Amino acid sequence: MSAVIEIDRRLCIYCNSCTGVCPVLANTLREVVVQHDPQKCIDCGACVKACPMGAIKLRKGKKSV
Amino acid sequence: MNADYDVIVVGCGPAGALAARAAARAGCKVAAFDKRKELGSPVRCGEGMGSHWIKEFGVKLSPNAVSANINGSVLVSPDWKNKVTIRTPETKGVVIDRKVFDKDLAIDAGRAGADIFIHSEVFDVIKEGGKVSGVKAYIDGKPQEFRAPVTIAADGGESTIARLAGINTTATLYDSDFGVEYEMVNVDCEDLIEIYFSVADAPRGYVWIFPKGKDVANVGVGIGGLHAPNARFYLDKWIRAHPERLGKAKPVAIKGGIITVGAPMTDSAVGEGIIVAGTAAHQVDPIHGGGISLAMEAGKIAGEVAAKNAMAGTCDRRHLLEYGAIYKKLREPKLLKRLLLRKVLEKLNDDDMNAIFAHLNGKDIEHLLNGRFPSVAAKMMKIMVSRPGLVKTLAALA
Repeated sequence: MSAVIEIDRRLCIYCNSCTGVCPVLANTLREVVVQHDPQKCIDCGACVKACPMGAIKLRKGKKSV
Repeated sequence: MNADYDVIVVGCGPAGALAARAAARAGCKVAAFDKRKELGSPVRCGEGMGSHWIKEFGVKLSPNAVSANINGSVLVSPDWKNKVTIRTPETKGVVIDRKVFDKDLAIDAGRAGADIFIHSEVFDVIKEGGKVSGVKAYIDGKPQEFRAPVTIAADGGESTIARLAGINTTATLYDSDFGVEYEMVNVDCEDLIEIYFSVADAPRGYVWIFPKGKDVANVGVGIGGLHAPNARFYLDKWIRAHPERLGKAKPVAIKGGIITVGAPMTDSAVGEGIIVAGTAAHQVDPIHGGGISLAMEAGKIAGEVAAKNAMAGTCDRRHLLEYGAIYKKLREPKLLKRLLLRKVLEKLNDDDMNAIFAHLNGKDIEHLLNGRFPSVAAKMMKIMVSRPGLVKTLAALA
């Protein structure tokens, strides 16, 4: 069973929390959007806990890349 | 090596701007990059800092860079029964407007001669022979290479560039707090910042009200990274629960960010041809989470060390470690003391904190927060007699 990180872009305030805690640089902040790279993501869930807005969820399911 | 510059700086916030200014003033050819169109934005910060730093760094600020002058702080116990007001020269501060402030710092760097590439994202480092020899950046949307014998990574909480260079700056959840704040109108403000402690309202953190004017303030909460669900939940809950303070308040902006509250990086922030400075190197106060002044300080040191070694052609790690050495002497001991205190304070519950507030006055709390533990030992003993459970927790400070 793998999992998928989902970022709700309507909630994101570009605060850099998810980027700072991601151990593999899967989240990067382009100027006004967080880019999430599912190829790099190891589903550790750190960014889900870090996001102060509750904008990131870990959903069970298959990665669609 | 074909070097375009002597020193490259990635990120033009407080650390990067001071690094660029220092290196340019030392006579170096400096390039500072920032991916943002507008420096200081998005704001990820409570915007408070001690006023003495501005003088110390000789920064020229435009009149609207300072939103409000602060003469002290009010610390409030979890039960709101004790409010301790501290007004000392050390608590004199300012609440700044980061969008103006950060640009002022960049203006200073530009005046010193640094090239500033705005809206220019650095997306990779150039590594040659195991050493960072430059960066790749998008200039007007096109990738370009820039070379310099030394690169300073001052790219904040995200810290991509340091990590691409092989320096591990990843923040752990335990040693990070995460914060959200609203800038609100219709908040009655004095010349004091307000700090509310409560495990229930802000686990491993606090609620803050930082005045930005007569009736405008940053109202925020930071929580420890291991606490669920998220900072915004606690902030909205706190605002709803305190209509007597914020009943008429309306948000006009929302800001958020990561606050690294672990140990600052020193030697580990230095690599072959690269120095990491500021929030990227976790150089943040572990107690209050303030990082502007510490970033400026570290940036300035990084800029000076980089300049000296760029001129001498000695940009290997061994020589750049002078940055770590200076930081270890100047700042690390104080921050480690406050880290120890943080690790004790995070074990307290609301009843413990109420008891401490009931016994300590402003001066005592100031001693405590500044690590002058012996000055408050007698009173702490009294508190421990009434709360024996505290003995073990507080013993770490002895």
